[in-house]
Amino acid sequence: MKNEKQFREYVERHPHPHQHAAIRPYFTRRGFFQLAGAGVTGAVLLDRPAFGQEITRGGATPISKAKNVVFMLLTGAPSHTDLFDFKQSADTPLNVMKPDTIKGIVWPAGIMPKLGNQLGDLAIARSVRSWALQHNLAQSWAQIGRSPAAALGDIAPNIGAIIAAEKANERVPGQVFPTFLALNSGAGVGSGYLPATYAPLKITPAVSGLPDTNNPDGQARFTAKYDLMQKLDQPLRDAAANPYGTEMAGYDGFYQAGKAMMFNPDVEKAFRYTTAESARYGSSGFGNACLNAAKVLGARGGTRYIQISFGSWDHHTNIYTALPPMAKQLDDGVSALIDDLKASGTFDETLIVIMGEFGRTTGELTATDGRDHHLQQFAVFAGAGVKGGRTIGSTDEMGGSTKDYGWSRDRNLRVEDFEATIYSAMGIDWTSVRYDDPFKRGFYYVPESNNDLYAPLHELWS
Amino acid sequence: MTRSTKWMVSAGAALAAGTCLVALAPAQDEPQSLVVDHSECSLFGSKRDQLSGSGLASEARQRYRMSELTSQVVPLLGVAKSRFGAAAGAAGPRLAGEQGVIDTYLFKAMQDASVTPAPRTNDYEFCRRVTYDLVGRPPTAERLFQFVTDGTPDKRAKYVDELLERSEWVDKWQMFLSDLYENTQNNNQVNRFAEGRNAFYQYLKDSLAANKRYNVIATGLISSAGPNTYEDGKLGFILGGFVTGGPRTGQDIFDQLAANTAEKFLGIAHENCVLCHDGRGHLDPLSVWGRKETRLKSWQLASFFSRTNHRRVVINPPANPYYYAIEDNTTYRTDYPLNTTTGNRPARQPLGSIRNVSPEYPFANGGKPNPGENPRVALARFITADIQFSRATVNYVWKQFFVRGIVEPANQFDLARMDPDNPPAEPWTIQPTNPALLNALAKDFADNGFNLKDLMRKIATSDAYQLSSRYEGTWKPEYEKLFARKFVRRLWGEEVMDAITQISNVPNTQINVAGLGRLSWAMQLPDTFRVPAEPLGSFLDSFLRGNRIEEERRNDGAVPQTLNLMNDAFVQNRTRASGNGAAASLARQLLNRYTALSDNLLVNEMFLTVLNRPAGEDELRTATTTLARATGATARQAQVEDLLWALYNKVDFIYNY
Repeated sequence: MKNEKQFREYVERHPHPHQHAAIRPYFTRRGFFQLAGAGVTGAVLLDRPAFGQEITRGGATPISKAKNVVFMLLTGAPSHTDLFDFKQSADTPLNVMKPDTIKGIVWPAGIMPKLGNQLGDLAIARSVRSWALQHNLAQSWAQIGRSPAAALGDIAPNIGAIIAAEKANERVPGQVFPTFLALNSGAGVGSGYLPATYAPLKITPAVSGLPDTNNPDGQARFTAKYDLMQKLDQPLRDAAANPYGTEMAGYDGFYQAGKAMMFNPDVEKAFRYTTAESARYGSSGFGNACLNAAKVLGARGGTRYIQISFGSWDHHTNIYTALPPMAKQLDDGVSALIDDLKASGTFDETLIVIMGEFGRTTGELTATDGRDHHLQQFAVFAGAGVKGGRTIGSTDEMGGSTKDYGWSRDRNLRVEDFEATIYSAMGIDWTSVRYDDPFKRGFYYVPESNNDLYAPLHELWS
Repeated sequence: MTRSTKWMVSAGAALAAGTCLVALAPAQDEPQSLVVDHSECSLFGSKRDQLSGSGLASEARQRYRMSELTSQVVPLLGVAKSRFGAAAGAAGPRLAGEQGVIDTYLFKAMQDASVTPAPRTNDYEFCRRVTYDLVGRPPTAERLFQFVTDGTPDKRAKYVDELLERSEWVDKWQMFLSDLYENTQNNNQVNRFAEGRNAFYQYLKDSLAANKRYNVIATGLISSAGPNTYEDGKLGFILGGFVTGGPRTGQDIFDQLAANTAEKFLGIAHENCVLCHDGRGHLDPLSVWGRKETRLKSWQLASFFSRTNHRRVVINPPANPYYYAIEDNTTYRTDYPLNTTTGNRPARQPLGSIRNVSPEYPFANGGKPNPGENPRVALARFITADIQFSRATVNYVWKQFFVRGIVEPANQFDLARMDPDNPPAEPWTIQPTNPALLNALAKDFADNGFNLKDLMRKIATSDAYQLSSRYEGTWKPEYEKLFARKFVRRLWGEEVMDAITQISNVPNTQINVAGLGRLSWAMQLPDTFRVPAEPLGSFLDSFLRGNRIEEERRNDGAVPQTLNLMNDAFVQNRTRASGNGAAASLARQLLNRYTALSDNLLVNEMFLTVLNRPAGEDELRTATTTLARATGATARQAQVEDLLWALYNKVDFIYNY
């Protein structure tokens, strides 16, 4: 906080908890001594509140438009000015990009024709700025909605893991899909300090389906050996009988969940696909992830948050050779996803978010025919009732800075705002703070800002 | 890794009335092999088991000192009759050990609290436990049996010494140190590249192989400078403190180095908090030390790094790989300047007349660099002389063996709650669950020259470490802090993978790492992120090995672990009867060695090899009944493979207990 006066004004303007730890609402006197007694007296292992019981809610009203989220992270910093915030420069190959104006939006119809036809479903935010020009850092930033270098940043959960924790009690019997699914996201952020139960199941989609959900020996032989294992292991899998304690016995729960996913027609139907289906999505790794997302969400098997990573868009060299084929994959994949979600009736309950970690320069190409980096970037939203066919905010001629913010807080949009947007859309109070972090410092669903409150972009729905 | 078929003598019929068959290892000074060849017995039809057993026992009697061995083995057979196979009580409880520093304090605390410790763990459990804990692998069945039948009173201590000298000890503890120091190819802030990461890895391996003293390792990591992080591995720690997006005057980097140093070498992660703001108003409910700590004091720590520069040296544009030179007094030449308004941390502005903060050790008795002394060299001097350095280190190591630290979380020491003679005001209490033990162990570590092997030897040979993980009587949560039983630990992913590799006798040929070539064991990996290539990388990830960036290694269970253990080709292929001769897989060896008439022997050897204990009575019955259902060689092979699969999926395989 720059000064005390500004801080006070800030607090008055915003009913967001930014108070010193000792007087935060959570720390009632009783609460303080409980914490002091439980967390730090050396009896750390005792009286620890059950997971998830230490959450305060700031009282914000979520807009609650979505049941699911598909978060697409285009890694490598895609050129916003060649994609969703198109700027023509002397070096732009017009015969490839074929810019056109659709619904008042200048659009590179040559490389993204299908999405051009679906612009009515897309809301494109352009007053978006990244915090840092460091790829890994900004990619993590987008996934955790805060600075990875900040306190708790290095143990912060992925937004999807928070959603998995929040939505755990909404799972119904028979739902065996993971709540949080991460496709092509091997390097993606996981559950941070949250239990692994809320971690993403990271997979690379394959024609053969979810890996390791069938046993090569076939179901009959598998069942026989699983029964043998159960017979041998039954005493150790019984919490009351296991002499080594409940942790080891509790491991059986993971076996039951794993087995439930095996030889399961629902799993096979949702995770397997044909090459013909893949072709409709562009026969690319990204397309297959979109296909997988469409099928999984259509099956309503318990998956609520899907992260798809797609890279690398880091076109420092030969951008107009390298970018168009990637844009085609994006175009094929996302457009087919929208079509199929509509067909399964899940488009209106699924918020799709597409963004990179920052953007690229316009104007003259670099010596290697590429583009370097701008902090300016884009974010695209669709589904879940988002009003499409429009842009939010605008940039200057060079795409390097914001001309018009275009939303209520009258400043640049940040990934923290998108984080709040996602929580709000999912019906989660984005001002929640959970005190189950290992430092007992309080993990804010959306971090505090020095100058303004991070807020959901509710303009998407108005 | 070749398993000999020659060592195992079936003495079951003679010793245990044909119920539970246990193999015997030769005693010392005897020939190391006894050929188990049952061909002559096949003539005897259904009596084969009994006859071959007694026949061999009789042969063994001539060649081995059977009476001695029998006296050792019979109690073990009684043990095996329990419900779970290997049970407690081969040796009775041995309480209040008084030789070592650990037992003196831990058992006294238990006595004071009138808590009865768990009994002493038996030889099978101890051998398995300590082998996983020290070298990350299970014992081979051969070595397990040598151990169990060894009558030497100090065999456990001798075995610990043996493990400490194995090359696998280096592999496992480089993994521990690499996790601790967060050695990665790249993190959110800095690229070490494979070359820099491998150099750091190699430095840690070499240091451990030479049993370099830990104060020497720490000093090297904190104070080294050099021209090339690809070539000088000990620069890897300072390199890891590089931060982007900070002010050009470098303070964010100095701060990060201070934070890393405080956490890794002093166990004080809260230092990172006070590098942004005073503790008051932030750390009050968390740390008595922290709530009094000021940002100014943390700057005094950061000031030791305020002349350190990471200079990027580009090798080959435009491919653009680069290494770093770590230099002092080049770009930055002053004490920590208070002149920032931008960066990752709040502004730093002059405090009255103070425009630069000079280095001063904020812990223990303080200290400033000598005139002309490199500040980082001075810092290493202060840290390694600080008892907190010893405390933090022994606590980190302790946690690897006892699963819980004496201070938890192990990186969140509260310096104001360390001294039992000077307790903090209510409602605070002393932080370590056994402060006298922690202090004594820390002092012992320092007095013995910061010798990691010596520390681990003392831990692994303590009675406290040798308590059973089974507790007889009612276990109460408040016993946990007393360490009145051993706590179970889910094996690391690397341990699971290497155990299955070793047990199956099917080598792991899929681990390739840039710059290191092909590695045979997962524990030899230099990183926990993106190596090795799929599918093994995912297999290891599912066991939550972490990525050394935002994901810590953890012991949670998770569904993908079970899917991997049940179905992944890595495991599945290692249940198969395959290969021949020295390359025969375990299933193939067992099928070659035992016909359907000696299922008891087969089952027991499989249990010993996979679970490192004899089968329990119920288990033996279940397994042999299943095997007996097989008609024909193909069916029998499938049954043996499936039994092996079942053992790989037993929770007592997945846990160290």
